[in-house]
Amino acid sequence: MDREWNDNQPIYRQLRDRVVAMILDGVLREGDPLPSVRNVAAEYRVNHLTVLKGYQQLVDEQLVESKRGRGMFINTGARNLLLQGERQKFLAEEWPRVHATIQRLGLKPEELLAAGATRQTSAESSAKATGEER
Amino acid sequence: MKPFRLMLSVALMSLSAVAFAQSDAQKSFDTMKTLAGSWEGQSAATGTPLDGKMMHVSLRVTSMGNALVHEMTGAGRPDDPITMLYLDGDRLLLTHYCDAGNRPRMAGKMSPDGKTVDFDFLDVAGSTQYGHMHHAVFTVIDANHHSEDWTYMMPGDKPVHARLDLQRIK
Repeated sequence: MDREWNDNQPIYRQLRDRVVAMILDGVLREGDPLPSVRNVAAEYRVNHLTVLKGYQQLVDEQLVESKRGRGMFINTGARNLLLQGERQKFLAEEWPRVHATIQRLGLKPEELLAAGATRQTSAESSAKATGEER
Repeated sequence: MKPFRLMLSVALMSLSAVAFAQSDAQKSFDTMKTLAGSWEGQSAATGTPLDGKMMHVSLRVTSMGNALVHEMTGAGRPDDPITMLYLDGDRLLLTHYCDAGNRPRMAGKMSPDGKTVDFDFLDVAGSTQYGHMHHAVFTVIDANHHSEDWTYMMPGDKPVHARLDLQRIK
């Protein structure tokens, strides 16, 4: 996890976002324990109340489960739940803008698919090249 | 003449009630001032037992005795809040400068045994988009020990409660 915090939102919220990113990226998997409040507070030099608030937010969103005396664990289905939320967010917030741009430019579905395929091939080649360099 | 006497006695009774209320607030403030110093100790939260002496708190009387500054201290920590306690007429008030970016005010009441001052939410300045501190209880155990209970209200009114058991270090 990054140790830098920005001033745009409370640290507990940024902490929550980082755990969410780790779940989406597969760094934290279902059933994995979250680091203890004490460790996170000490390692990232934040008030432990901040860590508690961040973790409570994850519990409220049903992404994490608190097991008394044992700590916090990533819930089964947490990644799917997040993906569902993120997809809905994309469709509600970003897609209307993207869709409007597509309409404005008169782009056809096949052009978009071709552009998407080119991007994917390019990304795969780049990943392969990086792998070969190693 | 009789109505005048009646009015006078009602007025005197009201004045004495105000005087008692002021006295209660002053007593509560004086109790809080006995906590001036540096403290450290363990903390525990609902469902999350913690160990280790990790919380540091300092209380300082300032402004010619008119205010008490409470600070959760930690070198380099960007999220340690400051709380100011002061008398406002017949009330003991607390303003919490929260790391969530808002400033809730709470009014304090002392328990009959004089050991606990319980602060309940009054109002808040600033955005509560990310929640706000809602309740605080200070309990004096003896000259060198006290506890603090802080309740934070998350968005959606879900409380997060933390308790600090503190020991005087200075």
